Amino acid sequence: MVEGEENEMLEFLGIDDVEELFKDIPDQIRTDLDIPEGLQEKELMSEVKSKLKKNKDPDELVSFLGAGIYEHFIPAAVDEIAGQSEFYTSYTPYQAEISQGMLQALFEYQSIIAELTGLGAVNTSMYDHPTALAEAVLMSARIKRKGNKFLVPENTHWENDSVLKNYLRGKDIKLEKVNYGEDGAIDREDLKEKLDDDVLGIYVATPNIFGGLEQDVDFFKDLKEDYGCIQVVGTNPLVLSLMRPPGEWGADIVVGDSQPLGIPQAYGGPTVGIFACSERYIRKMPGRIIGETEDSNGKRAYCMTLQTREQHIRRERATSNICTNQALMALASASYVFLKGSKGLEKIAKENYRKAHKTAERINELDGFEAPYFNNEFFNEFTVKTPVDTKELYGLCREKDILPGLPLDDKDKFSSLNDVMLTAVTEMRSEREVEQLIRSLEEVV
Amino acid sequence: MTPNYRQARYDEELLIEKAEKREVEDNPLPESIARNEAPKIPDLPTHKIVRYFNRLSHMNYGIDTGFYPLGSCTMKYNPKYTEKLASLPEATTPHPYQPEECSQGILEIMWELQQLLADLGGMDSVSLQPAAGAHGEITGLMIAHQYHKDRGEERNEVIMPDTAHGTNPASVSMLGYDLVEIPSKNGCVDLEALEEAAGEDTAAFMITNPNTLGLFETDACQMAEIVHDAGGLLYYDGANLNAIMGKTTPGAMNFDIMHFNLHKTFSTPHGGGGPGSGPVGVTEKVSSYLPVPVVKEEDGKYKFDYDLENSIGRVKGFYGNWLVLLKAYVYILHEGKNGLESATERAVLNSNYLRKKLEKHLDLPYGELRKHEFVLSGKKMKDKDLKTKDLAKRLLDYGYHAPTIYFPQLVDEALMIEPTETESKETLDGFAEAISSIMEEEKELIEEAPKNTAVGRVDETKAIRDSVLSYMMRE
Repeated sequence: MVEGEENEMLEFLGIDDVEELFKDIPDQIRTDLDIPEGLQEKELMSEVKSKLKKNKDPDELVSFLGAGIYEHFIPAAVDEIAGQSEFYTSYTPYQAEISQGMLQALFEYQSIIAELTGLGAVNTSMYDHPTALAEAVLMSARIKRKGNKFLVPENTHWENDSVLKNYLRGKDIKLEKVNYGEDGAIDREDLKEKLDDDVLGIYVATPNIFGGLEQDVDFFKDLKEDYGCIQVVGTNPLVLSLMRPPGEWGADIVVGDSQPLGIPQAYGGPTVGIFACSERYIRKMPGRIIGETEDSNGKRAYCMTLQTREQHIRRERATSNICTNQALMALASASYVFLKGSKGLEKIAKENYRKAHKTAERINELDGFEAPYFNNEFFNEFTVKTPVDTKELYGLCREKDILPGLPLDDKDKFSSLNDVMLTAVTEMRSEREVEQLIRSLEEVV
Repeated sequence: MTPNYRQARYDEELLIEKAEKREVEDNPLPESIARNEAPKIPDLPTHKIVRYFNRLSHMNYGIDTGFYPLGSCTMKYNPKYTEKLASLPEATTPHPYQPEECSQGILEIMWELQQLLADLGGMDSVSLQPAAGAHGEITGLMIAHQYHKDRGEERNEVIMPDTAHGTNPASVSMLGYDLVEIPSKNGCVDLEALEEAAGEDTAAFMITNPNTLGLFETDACQMAEIVHDAGGLLYYDGANLNAIMGKTTPGAMNFDIMHFNLHKTFSTPHGGGGPGSGPVGVTEKVSSYLPVPVVKEEDGKYKFDYDLENSIGRVKGFYGNWLVLLKAYVYILHEGKNGLESATERAVLNSNYLRKKLEKHLDLPYGELRKHEFVLSGKKMKDKDLKTKDLAKRLLDYGYHAPTIYFPQLVDEALMIEPTETESKETLDGFAEAISSIMEEEKELIEEAPKNTAVGRVDETKAIRDSVLSYMMRE
């Protein structure tokens, strides 16, 4: 700010004191701030750094935690690209002509997600996986109009449940549970039994919360043809570089989180809620969507499109209230995918698969351990039955700076799964670290 | 004044177009689910990708490029120290389920931020979980919903003025509430209309104050009284909190629930659309309904509290957009008491200064004194058979991002302008001069704008007609 310019501005307005601009705020509601004085940048840096240092040094912790957030290697170029200030200091691209860069980058993101999921219509992001799922259920009801039940298998993330319940408040949609079988996958008999005319949609998570993959996916394809319900598939985008795209086996909507593609764990956020759907339903979609078009000279250009679905135009008749989303993380994710390329992604996915399976084998060889506990095909995460109380085991490993996996019986939803933990192994875990895990498990038992 | 802005103009093909068909070899997955054909993503050298995105960034306009007076969006300068701190591995690496004892730094910052925001809003407690303003709104309404339900009351209406942000009515109908929109009187809430609308069906009343015209609703306390008497709750949309911080609070106006837009008031960057963060603050009356977990302090240790008596549960996975929370925390620490109050003062001074400069050129409906933003009418453009949109596009040629246009709807050909506190007098003078210059220009020049941006005027109708939403859909 230029010294003295405030006085010139006050003079221009014909007032002496800036307080006069607040004279319309009644005295009885005037308040003062009760917070400390500000810090200079130098002091600020050391103050905040010293607070963050109170965390356990991430380099000293060997983590096998997953359950929705995974530690993957992020190339330095991702940070550089998402750190371009023309990208991160811009707003939602309302003025397309001056925002082509962001628009094109987000169109690339949409195109990548379309390739991975096999569904052509993709939005620029939801907040995260649970909120994307909630929006998918609401969208299913907009498509189906008939029926008021949505089937959600029990082998899904506990954090989804409460988010779903909240988003469906005041709507006439009942969530009905479907059991999982001995292998942790959806109990198909139970699912068939619950399918009736009142069912508007089903949710299929693959990988499910136990890390397991649904193997007979054609079952879901047939199911859809027989019952005509909307099929929402939740997945991990990294596994999609190896797995048949859900769009090929009946998914109408695919949700997930793009965090494994180039987004740091960051204590759970910000991540990127994936939302893709069949081209048939584009007008029912929530969120911002970028479309391809031309400018006045016939040159290819991009802009936000189908905005009449959205809150700023359609208000109470909008498909969703979402406005601010996770666009920059979508851009970061797109840059990660391009940096890795199709071959690179496939290689990482295979490495995850191989390391996780190797680790499961090693754990399974240990006395009293069983891995995977749910005997099913998996990607990079699996269940482990432990011979001692999981929480106790977790605590003892923690003392050795190893986080061996998340105790599942600690969660209300899975309290009956005594001594079962969920262990993830990504490409980040070296052979030495896996050995450390094995040794610790041996020692604590 | 000549429009001398020049944006880069590259013909960059999509990278995804360069992909070639390829089989997946040695797929370890079982045959029934194994992909045969690899996803069509190109394999390119790193430097090509870096150059591509770098060029795209040159075809994008951010607050670091220039003035961005997008009304209601609070495009202020985003300090660089917040970015630096939020990129430290201690902030970016932790897993959300790692033991609380390993996350004491994060938890302490989250706990402190809860306290700071509570004070800034005059609230009793805060949840950091919502990921955006609209997410905060819907969370607040979920709280109201549960509150009434627990009291055995079926209240199915939410009242708001016709100037409300689009997210307000959308949040209301997402939760199955009926919307009761009351007309404004002289740009503000009409107390008589509110009195008539409020009753036993009223679950909540939502406003932002100052409202979207930039006018302070001086009758806020009377509104609170009317709605409380009817048994409803008061919701404060925090989108415009930056106009009153240090002067008054939603709590002082007797509001029960509010959200904060950390990506507006607390200067975290908008990221081309997100991520944002929309913490919700509540007064004691409804504090037991907040989403869980919240962070609490016990004997100098910080931990998650999942045991709020009437909690609605979760609205998002994990604990909110932590890195955005961190940036807002850093900003508040840097500004402190005086910094935040002078930010409010300068934002309002800049707004009134620019308002007075511009009212010579464009119409200003509804009173003079504004807070952080003001709304002009572009109806003078009609004299040349042009629209506000044309004016907006021509501004791009002068190197300014256009204001928010066609909102609020009660102003004909609206231009909503929010200069923010971080802009200098020189910038504001330049912008006013550009508007003045455009008003003198020939119709054709304005109609054909923009000329200086990466592309010319974009055909939005074609985008809708073709609906190409991914490369896959182009074919």
